Amino acid sequence: MATDSETSWGNLARLGFFDSERARRLLAELGDVVRPLAPLIGRSADPDLALTALVALADAVDDRARLLREVADDEGTSMRLLSVLGASQALGDHLRRHPEHWHELTDPTLGSTRPPAYAIREGLLRAVGADPRDEQPISTLGYAEALDALRVEYRRVLLRLAARDLAHHLGLDDAAAELADLAAGTLDAALAVARAKVGDAALSCRLSVIAMGKCGGHELNYVSDVDVIFVAEPVEGYAEATAMRAAGQLASCLMQVCSDHTREGTIWPVDANLRPEGKAGPLVRTIASHCGYYERWAKTWEFQALLKARPVAGDMELGREYARVIGPLVWSAAERDGFVEEVQAMRRRVLDHIPADRVERQLKLGSGGLRDVEFAVQLLQMVHGRTDEEVRPSTTLSALARLTERGYVGREDGRSLHEAYSFLRTLEHRIQLFQLRRTHVMPTDEPSLRRLGRSLGYTKDPIEELDKQWHFHQREVRRLHQKLFYRPLLSAVARVSGEARLSPESAEERLAALGYQDPKAALRHIEALTKGVSRTAQIQRTLLPVMLEWFADAPDPDAGLFGFRRISEALGSTPWYLRLLRDEGQAAQRMAQILGTSRYATDLLQREPQGVAILGDQERLEPLGRDAVQTEMRSAAERRDNAKDAVLAIRAIRRRELLRISVADLCVPFGVAEVGYALTDVTSATLEATLEAAIRGVEAARGTEMPTRMAIVAMGRYGGYELGYGSDADVMFVHEPLPGADAQLAASMAQAVANDVRQLLSEHSRDPALEVDTALRPEGRQGPLVRTLESYAAYYGKWSAVWEAQALLRAAPLVGDPGLRERFKDLIDPLRFPAEGLSRDDVVEVRRIKARVDAERLPRGADPAMNFKLGGGGLSDVEWTVQLLQMEHAGRIPELRTTKTLEALQVAVEHDLIAPADAEGLSAAWRFASRARNATVQVRGKASDQLPRDARERAAVAAILQYPPGQSDDMVNDYLRSARRARGIVDRIFWG
Amino acid sequence: MGKQEDFVLRALEERDVRFVRLWFTDVLGYLKSVSVAPAELENAFSEGIGFDGSAIEGFARVTEADMLAHPDPATFQLLPWRGEGPSTARMFCDIMMPDGSPSYADPRFVLKRTLQKAADKGFTFYTHPEIEFYLFQGRPGIGEDPIPVDRSGYFDHTAQSRGSDFRREAINMLESMGISVEFSHHEGGPGQQEIDLRYADALSTADNIMTFRTVVREVALSQGIWASFMPKPFTTHPGSGMHTHVSLFEGDTNAFFEAGAEYQLSKTARHFIAGILHHASEITCVTNQWVNSYKRLIGGGEAPSYKSWGHNNRSAMVRVPMYKPNKGQSTRIELRTVDAACNPYLAYAVVLAAGMKGLEEEYELPREAEDDVWSLNDRERMALGLEQLPKTLHDAIRIAEDSELVAETLGEHVYEFFLRNKRAEWDEYRGQVSAFERDRMLPVI
Repeated sequence: MATDSETSWGNLARLGFFDSERARRLLAELGDVVRPLAPLIGRSADPDLALTALVALADAVDDRARLLREVADDEGTSMRLLSVLGASQALGDHLRRHPEHWHELTDPTLGSTRPPAYAIREGLLRAVGADPRDEQPISTLGYAEALDALRVEYRRVLLRLAARDLAHHLGLDDAAAELADLAAGTLDAALAVARAKVGDAALSCRLSVIAMGKCGGHELNYVSDVDVIFVAEPVEGYAEATAMRAAGQLASCLMQVCSDHTREGTIWPVDANLRPEGKAGPLVRTIASHCGYYERWAKTWEFQALLKARPVAGDMELGREYARVIGPLVWSAAERDGFVEEVQAMRRRVLDHIPADRVERQLKLGSGGLRDVEFAVQLLQMVHGRTDEEVRPSTTLSALARLTERGYVGREDGRSLHEAYSFLRTLEHRIQLFQLRRTHVMPTDEPSLRRLGRSLGYTKDPIEELDKQWHFHQREVRRLHQKLFYRPLLSAVARVSGEARLSPESAEERLAALGYQDPKAALRHIEALTKGVSRTAQIQRTLLPVMLEWFADAPDPDAGLFGFRRISEALGSTPWYLRLLRDEGQAAQRMAQILGTSRYATDLLQREPQGVAILGDQERLEPLGRDAVQTEMRSAAERRDNAKDAVLAIRAIRRRELLRISVADLCVPFGVAEVGYALTDVTSATLEATLEAAIRGVEAARGTEMPTRMAIVAMGRYGGYELGYGSDADVMFVHEPLPGADAQLAASMAQAVANDVRQLLSEHSRDPALEVDTALRPEGRQGPLVRTLESYAAYYGKWSAVWEAQALLRAAPLVGDPGLRERFKDLIDPLRFPAEGLSRDDVVEVRRIKARVDAERLPRGADPAMNFKLGGGGLSDVEWTVQLLQMEHAGRIPELRTTKTLEALQVAVEHDLIAPADAEGLSAAWRFASRARNATVQVRGKASDQLPRDARERAAVAAILQYPPGQSDDMVNDYLRSARRARGIVDRIFWG
Repeated sequence: MGKQEDFVLRALEERDVRFVRLWFTDVLGYLKSVSVAPAELENAFSEGIGFDGSAIEGFARVTEADMLAHPDPATFQLLPWRGEGPSTARMFCDIMMPDGSPSYADPRFVLKRTLQKAADKGFTFYTHPEIEFYLFQGRPGIGEDPIPVDRSGYFDHTAQSRGSDFRREAINMLESMGISVEFSHHEGGPGQQEIDLRYADALSTADNIMTFRTVVREVALSQGIWASFMPKPFTTHPGSGMHTHVSLFEGDTNAFFEAGAEYQLSKTARHFIAGILHHASEITCVTNQWVNSYKRLIGGGEAPSYKSWGHNNRSAMVRVPMYKPNKGQSTRIELRTVDAACNPYLAYAVVLAAGMKGLEEEYELPREAEDDVWSLNDRERMALGLEQLPKTLHDAIRIAEDSELVAETLGEHVYEFFLRNKRAEWDEYRGQVSAFERDRMLPVI
């Protein structure tokens, strides 16, 4: 006997009651007999719900005392009753309306015996007053009465089934199969009701109900549409037209019997839309008509649907005949062209059509959902079932088991997939059981999640645990789903014992459908990567299926796979390489993305595959900054004996840094200004270290110390910290002889150093060259390569033209002797920032030069609209506009004295030189053009100012600029728009 | 492949179709057609039919000529004028780039994009055009005055007139192509006809207008006469417009209707009208795209040349038709500027965009024009704040050049090409010496 303490407030809460105060009151209401039940109720999925329903049931039954006694005394009965009441509000309601059904749950055989399908069918037929032994059973009840009786009987059986499922831990496959049996019996009983309604005409036809989908697969849900197809033949002596009309009436009446809402509710909708021609086609066809359709018109997905066809009700002999005729068509369909791709395309369409806000909580259709498993299994069935009859079962889990047994699916994968599918289906069942509603969406409210978690046996922290398990299985499905699709591609080339082989031809077809332009070559790469028994090949075999998918998602899958092969061959035996890719998913994914997108980064990687190491973690993708790079370059150079080797070492470090920036730009959000800074830093570090090495070299060669200081002045985009990938470095060299030095010697040595710097950096080598361009120096190519500071002063004093002052706007002495750099700056500032601004003539001159430059510099045949630099509203337009503002106003506004375009624009806004909206328009166009130009170089691997014409390259540029696949013309439109707007602003401000 | 594609493939087989014409429209609104055999159609559905875009007016730059035409199976129709025997069918196409992205040069995509933007806000755009055109005896030769087929006037019924024979035949053909005709009658000018199409969503309407123009010209040819949609073929007779009734639906309800409001016009409708009026000058270049279009607009009568709206006022640019009780679903407004020689995809796109802009910005609807706008004098019009629409193509181009709305709606490619082409048309026209000048000057100076 229970003590009061057992039902104390605190104890009830500990047992799992939410509203323990109310629970105590209700328990007291039921009386002492029931008190010991408290812990038992506490074990149900929702104790409060179970208790409430029990009280309601006790009030409804005639034999209250007996009910309470049985519940208290017979642990089996109480377990069954309470677990149902705690998990299903709908079944609780049913019990209240039909209280006598509680006796069903006292049946001890429920725990051990699966009710045979024929027994369920008999019960349902009897309920509608039909004789199950008749060849064509007919209901003897009135129509409305029969509908109600069928519903009550259906729920009675469902109640027993739910009790078995919840209290006796039925396997998912058993529960689903019993539900399918129940549905089959129900369809038969509904047909008996339909026969009574249609009357004598019904005798003219033989009608068979073929279950499709989950019912056909013997794996039904608690609540779902039941998919069927009807097939009929005339009974001998009747005309086909008469018979088919009657069959149509029977079929539509049958559907109504099941779906109509009556006093006793509804059962489920019967869906006949999988029939030939769907909604537009006739409801019932003869076998010949079915056959004609499938031979002529049917699409791949319709054959896929036929995998599940199974005669379940009506004339079973006719049903078997149908199966005999139609069955083989499924397997011939799998031989049709493009069949796998169609299946995959269909799957993508399904994914695309789920409302985005629901995807996350979808058990069925979302990524990693049930549909993924079903599709994967069906696909493999259709591929391999052609030749291997063993893998043809229509039930998902049985088919999976066979596929695993026969080696089409790895043992581990098969097991994980089985577990995930069982888990997700069970979860779906429990969600549906609660209100007997058709839903595949995880609830979001805490009470529901708590009930679900507890119904699956997670008594501790049910919500958290449920969430964890759910996501774990989802992830597993996602992971395995990919493997199952791509793995067969490997088996086409690798001889793996026990695995079925995909023929090379079909592997090629599949690769082509995935976007590989040259599937033969792709297959060769796969073969090269996976052949042999080495550990490397083994790891590659696990890695490749996923990599292949990632390549397929990138703009250029062929380049991706080819690059991967070359790098893998170069690094194959390096222990960390494959480990990195295998263990750090992100590194592998980044690598696939880079190889399939950027020829620039791929070239850098291939020159030195060790660079792959930087893909490993986020931190390593941070650009290092000038000091760090410069220090490393310097010490690498100092360890070398001669300038040539020293510069080679410097260039190797530069290459690694370029790779780092390019990869970071592709993989993590990275502003275009930041790319410019990073590239500028690397360039300056390179020049600094190279200048030092060259000086040491010249000193050694001449046997004397440098009699002069040297510096390098960055010009153009380099001076503006706006370098792009593959930009040349525009510079001027300046030197300043030490006091008392021999001017001749100083000039000659400085000249030698400058020459060496240029030559050593542009010499052909493994690493990319840095072209040092000195064309912007005074007198251009006619002028001396290096001038002294005095010579610059003299030149500018004598010759300075407005265009030279303009070029100096972007001059930044970034490299070499710090004092000299400072003095050079002091020298040019008054020139480029004239205190009095520009004269009217100067402004006219600037405009005139720009007009000429625009016309002359555009390469022949180039489309001006697609030229980032010289097109209307392009980089040059924006920069000239900003520079004009600078020359006019920087004399009086010191903040405007910057070499950076965007910074100057910002300052111009602050000083009201330009309206904020105009500045925004210019800066947006400038940023877009710069980003597009960088992306173009990344894609093409060489410097270019023109948007690529090639569709594939253009798509890749769009991908880098974050446009979704198939929207490259959106990018073009956006670019043209931003350029058009900028052009309007330039027209006003620059052209005046 | 979806159900619709299946349907088309099946129909080809069953109807013994030997050729399928794939139709699309260039930027200026001319219909383009490429024929394929049924066997190629499956491929056309899945991959599209490649063609050289640079050969089509306004489609591609020479350097990126590869384009693909993707037939839209929902537009499948048999062509009725090919007589008995093996039949020919047509489908409209969407134009794609080689990477599968829809081409911004495709006028149909311009309209689709604009419709999508409205759909994102929950609206569907319905239109109902009244298309006017002239019938002439035989094909007018260069430099000759065209001779109309009759001398009748508005709503005239003439026994055995060629015009009514023509209309009957044309309507039969349109109906057999699934294009419902609402109304047809003789218009004001000699030989001038009007046929009204039933209201439909704007994309279908635009497709239908393209079909309509073809059908009308085919039927005319078969009867030995000539049909033209030229906006103003005669100095003295009325021009041919394409008054278009437009309405917005939210799901199944007419968003322009509000029971009890003035003229039963909802706030949405008022903002929409305000949008059209506000941007009227900017979009005129598209709705009235030819030098000749402006001769119609300044001609008075049924064609508006001032930005105005009015209830049942036929001189207003936007007319709100008389409300019929219990017909809330048919509440609509009539835009009277558009002419029948426009590119219907582009024209409907800019009209919708202007109206939607009015909705977004909640423009205030200006005062209603209650009088016949033509009967007012200039001062009166000024006092009432009635602004004039562009008087020439040149004015219209200048205004469109500064229009963000038009650029945004047409997309950069079409916008740039369209204006370039129109500027060229104007420049060429400007240099023409006309009969008017000679008649005026030669005799006297």
